[in-house]
Formats: sequence, C-alpha cells, structure tokens
Amino acid sequence: MTSDTTNDAFNDALARAAEAAAPSGGQVKRKYIGRSMKRVEDPRLLTGRGGFIADQKIAGLTHAAIFRSPVAHGRIVSIDATAALAIPGVIAVVTGEDCRAKMNPCMNFGPSTIPQYPLAVDKVRYVGEAVVAVIADTRYLAEDGVDALDVEFEELPPVVNPFKALEADAALLHEGHGSNLAYERSFTFGEVDEAFERADLVVSDTLHWGRSAGMPLETTGAIGKPGLNGVLEIYCNSMNFSYFVWLIATALKLPSNRVTINPVPAGGSFGSKFTAHKVPTLAGFLALQVNRPVSYVEDRLDHLMNSDHHASDRYYEAKLALTCDGTIVGMDVDVVDDYGAYLQFGVGTHGNALSQGVGPYNFNNLRYHLRAVLTNKCQQGAYRGFGSEVHNWVLERLVDQAAEKLGMAPEVIRRKNFIQPEQFPHKIPGGNLYDSGDYEAVLDKALSMIDLEHWRKEKKRLREEENRYIGIGLVTTQERSVFSSTEFWYWFDEPAFPITSSPESATITIDPSGEFQVLLHSQAMWGNSPETVAAMVVAEEFGVEPDKVNIRYADSAHALPGTGPGGSRFTVMVTGAIRGAAKKLQKKIIEIAAHTLEVPPEDMEITDARVQVKGAPEVGLSLGEVAATAYFFALNLPPGMTSGLEEQHTYDHPLTTLPSPDRSDLGIFYPIMGHNCHIAVMEVDPDTGMTTWLDYVAVHDAGTIVNPITLGGHVTGGTAQGVGTALLEELAYDEDGQFKSSTFLDYLIPTANEIPAMKLGHVETPSPYTEYGIKGGGEGGRMATPGVISAAIDDALREFGMHVQNLPVKPSDIVATVLAAREQQKEQRS
Amino acid sequence: MKPPRFAYYDPDTVAEAVELKARFETDAVVLAGGQSLVPMLATRLAKPDALLDINRISSLQQLEVGPTHVEFGALVRQYQLETDPLVARNVPLLAAVTHYIGHVENRHRGTVGGSLAHADSAAELPTAAVTLDAEMVIEGPAGRRVEAARDFFAGWMTSTIAPDELLVAVRFPITPADAGWGFVEVARREGDFALAAAAAQLRLDEAGRVSEIAIGLASISDRPLRATEVEAQLLGQLPTADAVAVAARAIEEQVTASDDMHATHSYRRHLAATVTQRAVLEAVGRAQEGNRS
Amino acid sequence: MTIQTQGGVDPTLQRTITARVNGRDVSGVVDTRTTLADWLRDELDLVSVHLGCEHGVCGCCTILLDGQSVRACLMLAAQVNGRDVETVESLSSDQTKLHPIQEAFQEEHGLQCGFCTPAMVLRTKEILADGRERTDEEVRQDISGILCRCTGYQNIINSVQCAARKLRAGSPAPIAAGTGTGGSSDQNPGA
Repeated sequence: MTSDTTNDAFNDALARAAEAAAPSGGQVKRKYIGRSMKRVEDPRLLTGRGGFIADQKIAGLTHAAIFRSPVAHGRIVSIDATAALAIPGVIAVVTGEDCRAKMNPCMNFGPSTIPQYPLAVDKVRYVGEAVVAVIADTRYLAEDGVDALDVEFEELPPVVNPFKALEADAALLHEGHGSNLAYERSFTFGEVDEAFERADLVVSDTLHWGRSAGMPLETTGAIGKPGLNGVLEIYCNSMNFSYFVWLIATALKLPSNRVTINPVPAGGSFGSKFTAHKVPTLAGFLALQVNRPVSYVEDRLDHLMNSDHHASDRYYEAKLALTCDGTIVGMDVDVVDDYGAYLQFGVGTHGNALSQGVGPYNFNNLRYHLRAVLTNKCQQGAYRGFGSEVHNWVLERLVDQAAEKLGMAPEVIRRKNFIQPEQFPHKIPGGNLYDSGDYEAVLDKALSMIDLEHWRKEKKRLREEENRYIGIGLVTTQERSVFSSTEFWYWFDEPAFPITSSPESATITIDPSGEFQVLLHSQAMWGNSPETVAAMVVAEEFGVEPDKVNIRYADSAHALPGTGPGGSRFTVMVTGAIRGAAKKLQKKIIEIAAHTLEVPPEDMEITDARVQVKGAPEVGLSLGEVAATAYFFALNLPPGMTSGLEEQHTYDHPLTTLPSPDRSDLGIFYPIMGHNCHIAVMEVDPDTGMTTWLDYVAVHDAGTIVNPITLGGHVTGGTAQGVGTALLEELAYDEDGQFKSSTFLDYLIPTANEIPAMKLGHVETPSPYTEYGIKGGGEGGRMATPGVISAAIDDALREFGMHVQNLPVKPSDIVATVLAAREQQKEQRS
Repeated sequence: MKPPRFAYYDPDTVAEAVELKARFETDAVVLAGGQSLVPMLATRLAKPDALLDINRISSLQQLEVGPTHVEFGALVRQYQLETDPLVARNVPLLAAVTHYIGHVENRHRGTVGGSLAHADSAAELPTAAVTLDAEMVIEGPAGRRVEAARDFFAGWMTSTIAPDELLVAVRFPITPADAGWGFVEVARREGDFALAAAAAQLRLDEAGRVSEIAIGLASISDRPLRATEVEAQLLGQLPTADAVAVAARAIEEQVTASDDMHATHSYRRHLAATVTQRAVLEAVGRAQEGNRS
Repeated sequence: MTIQTQGGVDPTLQRTITARVNGRDVSGVVDTRTTLADWLRDELDLVSVHLGCEHGVCGCCTILLDGQSVRACLMLAAQVNGRDVETVESLSSDQTKLHPIQEAFQEEHGLQCGFCTPAMVLRTKEILADGRERTDEEVRQDISGILCRCTGYQNIINSVQCAARKLRAGSPAPIAAGTGTGGSSDQNPGA
C-alpha cells in the first residue's frame, strides 16, 4: 500500500464487497446448492446431439481448408492458384494480401508493433501458420485445392531457441518491433535483496516448463454467413466476452451492429477456445469474399500447429530464501517465456502467476523478472491455469528442495509456512488479495485420506527386499479464481485500453404459464456445466425443480455484458448474475401477489414455486397464477407496474481495485482464492523410466460447493491434464523450427491407462465476497499435479540424484540420470 | 484431413488383385485393415492413383492349422490372433504380442498381412515374425513364392514385396510344447508404438541349459532384428539371471535408431538390453514351468 | 470383381451402397474416397460420430460394425456395403428416454463436453455385452482406446460399472439422482 488514499479505497472495496455478498439474515438452509445434481446438459450430449460447430447444417454451406506454412521463417515470394482454381468445385482462393487490403489486424493485447492477420502477410513465422485459404463445395475439394497450390518461399534463418533469439545477430521475427524481445519487466515487492542477505538457506533451481496445450478433442471452428440487412452472422465455438463481437467487427472493418455472433457449444476448451478469435474472423472474412456461407473448422493438424493456443514454455532461474527453521522469507524469479511468433494476450499468463505469487505461504518479499521472447513457433494462448500453474510448480520445486536440505518432511515445511485462517483477507506482495482459506484443514484432510506412514515404510521395504523404487510427493497449491480485467493491462505503464469491467449477466423469464427460461450471455456450453449451475440457482431461489428450468444462450446482438468462462470465474459470476435477477423478479412476484391477495408484501415469501403468506402457506398463489396476471391482466397489477415477468441482472466483479500508477501495487485482480493438496505415490522403473501409480489423493477447497459431482469432475479432469503436462504431452520443434508433434501419434494425450485412480476430498471455506460463498474450481487438478509428480519421481530415485527440472519428464530423462549415477558410483568404487 | 481422389477397386480374388497390382505398379496401394494406410491418406502423405481394397477376397481370411505351421491369410484380423484359442494354443507368443498393437478398436480391423506388409520396425507382428522364423507367402504374376521373415524386411518401412506382388499369407511354425516365450514392450502410452520391445522364445535341455533360442527386437533399427549375439551367448548356457543380464547387453551394439522426440539413442540402447533381459527371463520362467509340469 | 455400372458413373469413383444402420436399411451413392464417418455424419445426419483427429487415434468416431468397435474415420463408406453399423443413436435418440447406459453416464457424471461420449457409450455397450463383472482396472483398460480430455476417466469408469449394474439388474433406473460422488471417497464434502 502506497498511501492512505489507496488504503481507504482498499478498505472501502473490501467492505462493499463483503456487504454485497452478506447472506440476508442468518444461516440459510439450502435445498439445491451443495447437492450432487445430474446435469441438465447431458441428455442431448448422450444422444449425440451436442450441436457442435461441425454439426451445423446450413443451406449452401461451403468449406474452407488452409495451406499451412511448411517453413519456420520465410518470405512469401509467390502464390500460384491456377491449378487449384481449375478444380471443379473450388470456389475461391484467398491470401494474406486480401487480408491486408480489406481488413484491420486481428485482436491483439500485446504491443501494436506485433500485428497479425488470419492469413500470413508477407512473411510466415512458424511451421503451420495459415498462408492461403481455399473455399470449395466440400472439405474434400477444398483440400484438393490446397494440394494444388504452388507457394514459393524465401527461407529466413529460423529463430527457435529463445536465448539465441535475444542475441544481437538473431534474425528478427517482426522487423517493425525491432527486437525479438517482445516485452520485459521486473517487479520487486518488499525487501527482496535484504531477505536473501539475511537468509540462512537459499535454494535455487534452473527449470523448464515445456510447451503443451489444452488440446480439446473438438477443434476450433466457425461459420461465416452473410445475413439480412448487411449483417454478417458468425457461428463459432470460441465466443466469450461480450466485446468479442466488437473485436472481430473491428478486424473486419464492419460496424459492430453488422456482425452477430452465435455462440455454439464447444467439445472442450481448457483455455484453447478462450477468445480464439482468428478462426471466426477468418470464417467471417471468407464469407464476405464469396458472399456465401463458409465453414472453417480446423482439422487436427491445423489445431496442433496453428491453434494460437500453445501454452506456457518457460525457462526459470528461481531462488527461495529461508531461515534455518524452514520459514520462507523471499522468492526471486527470473523467467524467460518462449511466446512464439505473436503475443495476442500480452503477458497475461504472468499476471496469473503474480496473482498467487507466494502460493499459500506467508512471506512478503517477491521479485519477478520477465522477458517475453518471440520465436518461430505457434503463439501462446490459454491453458487451464493460464500460467499460474507453472508458477505453482516452480514454487513447489523450490519448497521441496528446501525441505530436503533442511531434513524436513514435505508436509512439515508447508504447514510451518501456511498463511493462517485469521490472516484473511490477506494482501500478498504485489497487491492481490486472498479472500479466505484454511490451508491446514486441507492438508489434514488429505493426510487423513492416505496412510503416509504405511507408504514410507513400504518404500523402504520394497527398496530393500524387492529392489523396487517408490516415491511419495506432496504439494499444497493455490487455485486463484474470478479474474478482473485489470490484469490484462497493469503490466503496461501506459495501457492502450485500461478496462476495468468484467461482468456476467443473466436474464430470467417466467412465461405466462409459470415456466422458467434463463438466458445466459456471451458464452456457450464448453464442457463446463453452465446450464446446471443456472438451473440450480434458480431452483434455490424459487423452489422449482432444476430440470424444469430451460436455459438458452443469447447471440451477441441480444447479449448483455458478459465475460464468459475463463479463469475459473463462471460459477461464481453467473450465480451472482442469476441471484441478482432473481431478487428483482422475486420483488415483482411478491408485489403482484400482495396486491392480488391484499396482504402486505413484507408478510409474503416464495417457497416451492409458490408465493405465500409467511406462517399461513395456504394463503398464496402459484407462480403460474402470478405470471398469468403479469402478462394478461394489466388492470390487476399494482399501480405503475408494467406487464411481463422478466428481469435481467449484470453482476460486476465482486472485488477488484485499480493498480497504483507506479505499479508498486497491482491492485486486487484475482481475489477468490481456492487451495488444494495433492499427494501421490508412484513407482518408477529405473531401467525403463516408466512410472506407475500406487495411490493418489486430491483435496480441494473451492469455497461453498455448488455441485459436488461436477466439482469432482474438474479435479479429476484437471489432474489428468496435469499428468499429460508432466509426463507425456509436448509440442516440440526441432532446431530448424520444424514441428515434431504434428499428429496424435506424437502429441500424447493420456489414455485411461496413464491416469491414477484418485481419492477426492473437499474442504469448504466460503468466500466472504461472493454469492453463497462460492469460489471457482474449474482449473482443478492441473494446478497441483505437475508438482506432485515431479516430487514423487525425485523421491523414488533420490539415491540416483534424480531432480526433475524439465517437463515433461520423459523415460529417457529418467534413465539418463540413473545411468549417469551408476557410472559415477562405479568410478567411485574403483 | 480428407483422403485424396483415387480409383477404388475391390477385387474378389487374389488373381484379380495381382492383375491390378501389375497394372498400377507403384501407383497403387493395398487397403487391408486401413489402420496405418488411411491416416496416411487423410494426411495426404500417400496420394495413390489406385486403392486396391482386398477385404472382399474371402480366401485371404482363412486361418489354418497344419501339421507343422499355422497359416494365416493376410486378412485375418489382429483381434482374432489375440482371442482365438487356436492361436494361443499353437503360437502363444503371437497371441501375446498382438495385444500390444494399438487398441482393440484398431485390432478389430487391423490385419496380419497389413501389419507385416507395412513393415514398421516398431510394430509387434513383424518382430514376432522375425523371432519365430515365420514365412511370407507372396503371390505375383509368376505365381507364389515363399520368403523367410528375416529376409522379408528390407529397410525402413520396406519389404521385398514387388510392386506387382501381394502378400497373401504368413506361416508361423507351431510352438513346441516345451518352449517358453516372453514378450516385453515399453511404449510412452499403452497402445503406442514400442520405444523398444523384445520377443523371446527358447527351449531348455534336461540339464536346464538353453538348447534353442530366438530373440527379436522392435524399434531399435530400420527393421525388426534378431538378437543374434545375445542368442549365441546364451545357447548352451544355464540361463541364470546374471547370465541373461550379461548376455542381454550384447543387443546394445545392434541399436542404430537415432534420437527422436520420444527416445534418445542412448536410452534405446539401455532399453533394448532391459527388455531383452526381461523377455528372456520371462521365457526361461515359462520353459522351466513347462518342463516341471 | 464387382463393377456396378451406374448410368455411366465410374465405379472406381462412385458406388451405390446399402447398409443396415441403426436397424434400418439405408442406401446411398457415395464417392469412393468418402470416409465412413463423413458418410454417417453428412448423408445420414448421424452427427454423434464426432471427428476428433481423423487419423484413428482419439476414438471419438468409434462406431460398432457388426457389433465390433471400429474407428469410422479409418474406413471408407464403400466398405460397409452389406454390413451392420451402429451409432449411439441406436441406444436412444430420445432425450427424455435414455438407454440405461446413457442414464448411467448421466448419473455418474461420465461426461463433460460430450465429444467423446457417444464413442464411450457405444464401447460400454460392446464390453458389457458378455454380462461379466469387471474390476475398475479392467474397465480402465477396456476404455483406453478412446481419449477423453475432460473427465480424467474416473467417472467414465464409474459410469461403466453403474451401467453394468443396471443391465444386470435389468431395471432401467436402480440408482437415484444425486448419489454420485464425483469419484470421491468423500461422500459428504465439507462435512
């Protein structure tokens, strides 16, 4: 905190947020929130009617396929489409030159000196970058057209290694930017140098978190369709943010009221479809070129190489300072992030890291030095955790190393450093706030679900009697939720657009026969459970059965402000929106009923889809009766009331503050803080490097639980993705920038065989700032799993000096360590 | 990812298929189970003029147990190898390795002949064929010829099938009742191609010494290899754990596969020895058990 | 060799095929390069056959061919002439009357985005056909040919086991809503 003014604003914000979320009078017994509910989304999905983008049947639909760059870095010399256009059924060929002539650059939260278009202009900057689109009657013919193109490149030196990219003689990706260093900034919070000077122990590590991706089984896709009144209709499976339409309209040089985006459900995203704007922009652009509906659905090769959503690829020099009793006093992070060829989201993935920079630990000194580097690779986007999970891994690696040096058990050093329940709300170095937590309760619950003493004995016995290698890992990590849009720009001293809104909206309609409709805005179903959440909240507020509530999604022309799924914010935010709309609707229902029954409104309540007199439930009306009055009998309404029974509410972020002008304080931008503890027991075969699971426990605290079964699904699903990141998945480029992971034979998504049977537990520490006390839990196990796997492998092979520094850790890495250690042991013996 | 245009032929007889192969030569590809070919079409790594779908040729679908061999028509599905008791009884190693091919959805369609003709050094069936001294039955315009598995695999994804020839069957010798066998595969995920795999089959004499031994390795070279040096070191020896461990190291010299994103060369060397050692010990265990009973 | 002459159409490029699809005989003219998955999706509107990778790895397009699970992206439509094809619509396409296997997936939360779900449901039907009881580890192996990116598989395994119980009991809905545990041993979260 820099001044009293800031202090006052900060305290005001806290007080207002707490007041807004305060339960109205006493502990409320809830009927639906907290109960495992079957999802209302499921029947259509189980019968194969998910309505995905590739399932859309539109009359006259044409199909686009993409010519992808075969070279990592080069100038486009010529494009000859003669043969392609001669194929019957091929309609048009569109290039980057068309984009430059008729479009603005695409959405970009990074420096304006790094512009991008949906088709490469002048240069290609990575293998797989889209160069030409061919539109044809069928996808088969479009691919024939792509095959028939003759594209000539003048190859430029590939820039692959991010450290070499920073050398003076490196070829430049973006001449207009003048450097391959896209961005650099250092934040120092607290007295970092002093903390390190007075520390008894400093542990340091060189770490690399390899490139993986959300890799949903459905790719990103969109349909552009010229509609009535000059409106371009876009159907896409990547809509979130109500201003998505504005960004795309700007790129297409259309007034925003001449573009309508229809949200289409997604077959998974995990971040990969988060504001995935290029695909809908391209589909819209192509439709405008041929004045026909055009579908562009990435195939798997497109998505692997050109999704714009590869994830963090970070190189760390990280240090942790401690006192001799294991108290952490400071952390110093120097990170180079290999962002690839563009920087669409700026460096937001590091803002996520800073939202929980100290993890669950009680220390105040943190330095964070970031260099974001441009290389000839697909650019980064979002993936479950958005970069905060990487920081979790780094911090936990350091804590484990410190524990080993100090001879402390992993649970002991963590318990020693936890922020205590009475310290909340807790402001961390950097300025973000942790709303609430009870980290020891989570740890205790996890320890109660696994017999660590048994496994520690078993580890010794198996090593001695059977020559088998067992390792135990334990991590405790944060899961921040509900981002505020200030995190998009606080990195920059003079941001182009310092947005502070990140709301969510809902509309509830009770129709004339008393049936409920809920309209959600700026999103679609992405595999999360928006409809079930909405139905449960409506059920809680009105006492209707959840499966009686019908949920729909607004197109952008009808959409209220919304931000959509991302950063584990959906359940918290939409609950706020629906509850807000419900309160307005309840007021109107009670006023109508009170007027009809001639009872004072304050004597009435809504229960079980009825409005009735408190204490005299026989005196009341069904919601259907109220609705009939509201729609058809205006003369029976209270004076001044208008017809209809529909209310909408826009729920703003519950707790966010501005960063200070000098950025010594970044403000509150990610305050709804979840927590977890994962414990893994693994066996490692030192001669094959293969791992097997023996036990796995995951305990999460996501505040008040809305639907336990779906929260459990997030934990198990996130854990599986963490297993992929830690052991299997790799988007790899060779030294020439050629892409090595171009099919699912090389990009290894875990099958059921690679995933442990998990024991799940939950602790509920409600947030004081959200409706019902809910916290986000969507990013699930991926926040913790890479750390716990690294720790377990190290523990299993400690006698060989195993120390995981590079993810994914591959069998060949493990065996190389074992063989080197054996070689050394041999030398020592001789 | 859609297949390119091709002329599709689905002959009813081997003679018709051979005639088509002779007509198109290298411009035609044979579609059997399609589990490797169709992905190559979808990615357009293969752009043949003609696709010869042999799935309608009923004579290729027979499995016959003869006095000394089991003959598998080229179209016998891998799932049948895995589940047919006739296979488990007569060539148990073959049944065992088949379980490691892809996933069951692939094995329902994948064929014996398709996998052998594809000649991937990382694949299980070519390794089993080399280990068990299988014989390939190949038909061309001049009639049928038979080729030993060891000669059949000619290099990276290459066999000796001429452009005008068709692999019609493979014959595996019936496994002696007292033989022991073992198979150990290491892959990044179950169902993936092997980083290395070893198949072993051996017999022991009355003194418990190795009297016959065959070891085949997948994924260490451009083709499946016999571990000739390991075999030579163990033949006539008591297969103790130490003896097997020492002998297995000899395979390292045969590893020529270079680094790829899943395995380094030096890892493969160690892994080859590890799977060899384990497969041989598994085989020894079965042979000793068989001799006791 | 069967050469069907179809009014001058080159049979190497186009074929008329007849197949039994979800219990009905269906005929159509197909390009010979059309995959089975595309024919089912585009011509028969069986959009439950999802295209996840189109190279035979992800398994989202899995269908039952003569009762056996196969990747529909790795077959040509021309190859199913005279064969029996089943997609998830054969269990139930009525969203208000689900098949017990579909019910089990809903009750145990065996799906999130729904993209692998039709394949998982069909595979469940195939593996449960023998009526044998399986351990969770056996089920894990049995479903490993189909990728799921959402669930971490745990609730799919629970769904298969739940479906097995339902099919053995022969009753459509022995398990009430709200009893699922999210794969948790912790039946009372927060308690």
